[in-house]
Amino acid sequence: MPDTLPFPPFAWEVSIAERPIPLQGPVADAEARLLRDLPAADDATLLRWAAAGDRRAFDQLAGRHLPMLYRVALRITGQPAEAEDVAQEALLRLWRHAARFDPARSQLGTWLYRITANLAIDRVRRVAAQPLERAGELADPALGPEAALAEQQRQALLAAALAELPPRQRAALALSYDQGLSGAEAAAALSVSTRALEGLLRRARHLLSARLRGGGT
Amino acid sequence: MTPRRFARLLDIHGADPARWPQACRGAALALLDSSAEARAMRDAAAALDAALRSSLPQPDPAALARMRNRLAHAVAREPLPVPERRLLRWLRPLAPFGAGALVTLMVCGLWLGLPAAPEPDDILGAPRLMAMMELP
Repeated sequence: MPDTLPFPPFAWEVSIAERPIPLQGPVADAEARLLRDLPAADDATLLRWAAAGDRRAFDQLAGRHLPMLYRVALRITGQPAEAEDVAQEALLRLWRHAARFDPARSQLGTWLYRITANLAIDRVRRVAAQPLERAGELADPALGPEAALAEQQRQALLAAALAELPPRQRAALALSYDQGLSGAEAAAALSVSTRALEGLLRRARHLLSARLRGGGT
Repeated sequence: MTPRRFARLLDIHGADPARWPQACRGAALALLDSSAEARAMRDAAAALDAALRSSLPQPDPAALARMRNRLAHAVAREPLPVPERRLLRWLRPLAPFGAGALVTLMVCGLWLGLPAAPEPDDILGAPRLMAMMELP
């Protein structure tokens, strides 16, 4: 058996041998997904990819929105463990809903805020709200001992006052002040009118101010 | 702008002028320049804003990583997202009309199903007929 061919290969044989075998079907899809630049993609693109079954794209999207959803849930529930559950549940619902989400009908951020606020409010209604667990530990270390103690007491007062608020008022504070949403956005997330949102904010601030001054409502 | 309106503005939007509605921001800032009472109200609102800001801790990176990990596991166990059926997608905008039509149908059904109240003539008809037959 000779080691070399007795004649040179035809040109078409060489071209076929050098041509890469095109991937098809699920393998090609998987490779295309791996090549996607997830950090550079915007939310709408990530959601479209997630809707097509790309779990990595969804993980990227979740990483972007998880901190803010957690903070909204924490403001409303006052409990880190509950807030974690709420934020995860909201994003899990987004995964289930991804293929049906219509960006023309609602913005992703507003939709997520609405789901998170509703889940958190439901939880608070089942279990009475508690003051934030970490409240009182947040005094600035640069303060002197007396000032730090006064700050801790003020934070404890505020935490107790926040726990007194109805959950919808806490949700209004979370969206308007903590997240910095406009009145229209926060109202849409809470499914209320702008005027009703203003009422929630006013009542919440009145009670908090009164409690910080050491008075009643 | 009156102090009363300014107080209402602070109650809703807080002490940060950037959050005040554009339409009344100029008047509110002018009142702040001219009124010590307004400045005192603004300072009280700013103190509450600061207290609210510091009362909400930033999420711990370890906690965020744990949440993201748990979420990824939950998503891995979930089936792939299912697109809405094309027919339902077309029909969804009509849902309010569909609900209205359903309510109308139910009302009509109830109305037709209720027995009609008997006319007074029908109730008294038989005895009167008997009496008239006995007269001769």
